[in-house]
Amino acid sequence: MATPADSLAAPLTDAALKRQQVMEYIWHHILNTKPGHGPMEWHPLPFVPGIHLPDWLPLHQLMLLIAGLLLIVGFCVLYRLRKGVPTHFSIVLETFIVFIRDEVAIPSLGEHDGKKLTPLLCTIFFFILVLNFMGLFPFFVTATANVHVTAALSILVFVVMIVGGLLKNGPLGLAHAFIPGGVPLVLKFVLFPLEVVGVFIKTFALTLRLFANMLAGHVAIFSIIGMVVVFGPIALPALLMALFILLIEVLVALLQAYVFTLLSAVFIGQVFHPEH
Amino acid sequence: MGLTGTFAAIGAGLVAIGTGIGIGRIGGSATESVARQPEAVGDIQKLMLISAAMIEGVALFCALICFMAK
Repeated sequence: MATPADSLAAPLTDAALKRQQVMEYIWHHILNTKPGHGPMEWHPLPFVPGIHLPDWLPLHQLMLLIAGLLLIVGFCVLYRLRKGVPTHFSIVLETFIVFIRDEVAIPSLGEHDGKKLTPLLCTIFFFILVLNFMGLFPFFVTATANVHVTAALSILVFVVMIVGGLLKNGPLGLAHAFIPGGVPLVLKFVLFPLEVVGVFIKTFALTLRLFANMLAGHVAIFSIIGMVVVFGPIALPALLMALFILLIEVLVALLQAYVFTLLSAVFIGQVFHPEH
Repeated sequence: MGLTGTFAAIGAGLVAIGTGIGIGRIGGSATESVARQPEAVGDIQKLMLISAAMIEGVALFCALICFMAK
């Protein structure tokens, strides 16, 4: 991709200038920092145009903090205010939490471990859900469209897999989880390294799935809006397409949070309770 | 030659073909199974969503590679 530094090399034609403007517009709404310029000079705080972020606070970090704050306020403060009979907010939260416990955690992990690991799965689910939905609002950016954020979440799941497997079954039990069952002994030797590598591949797939889904939607929307810059006002009906993609993004946000949580539960279950 | 962008776009189109065929088959067999046994709608819907998300994950890895190859 051409960077802003390329533009200093040659005088810009009209088409090249428009292309660069569109690319900067797209980057502005997706990336953490301005490429080639260091810290965050341009994307102001949400709600307050004109204020620039300090050097030590990247944009996506701010989004993570806002999501964490929303979740803490939602769960610790607003949920505690319920009085006996469940009303709207606690019904919504309880529906999700019971869904995760009964449909995601217990089928993959069994009764006992399912109940013990439901807080972790709920944390992952609600965190990713809030981050994904925040990206759909005007002044906010999707933090999960940053591969570092999704990699951090997948490394968390990886650590739970390995350390949890060690604590639960011991080192021999952990190795036993990687030995495939029902195959002759020779194939066991062949498949064992494949299973070990498979753990890393599963983690890698978790990060890339979430990251690519979130990034692709937003890049598509911004590119279509950028078409209006390049082609002039005749391209305005293309904004209907962008609106359609935005609506699909809502579904994708919810679905990707659910899939991440479900696959985390399945992978942790495969290590905790080897099925053979 | 300045054709890397074209090849990346062709690659992205091929990815879309594979994804379309795969997820279309999942949707088709899911609706057939629901037609055979309407009370299993919940289970079948869950399985369909999981399989579709997995295949779409692979498709998006490849779309990402097409982005990077541009």
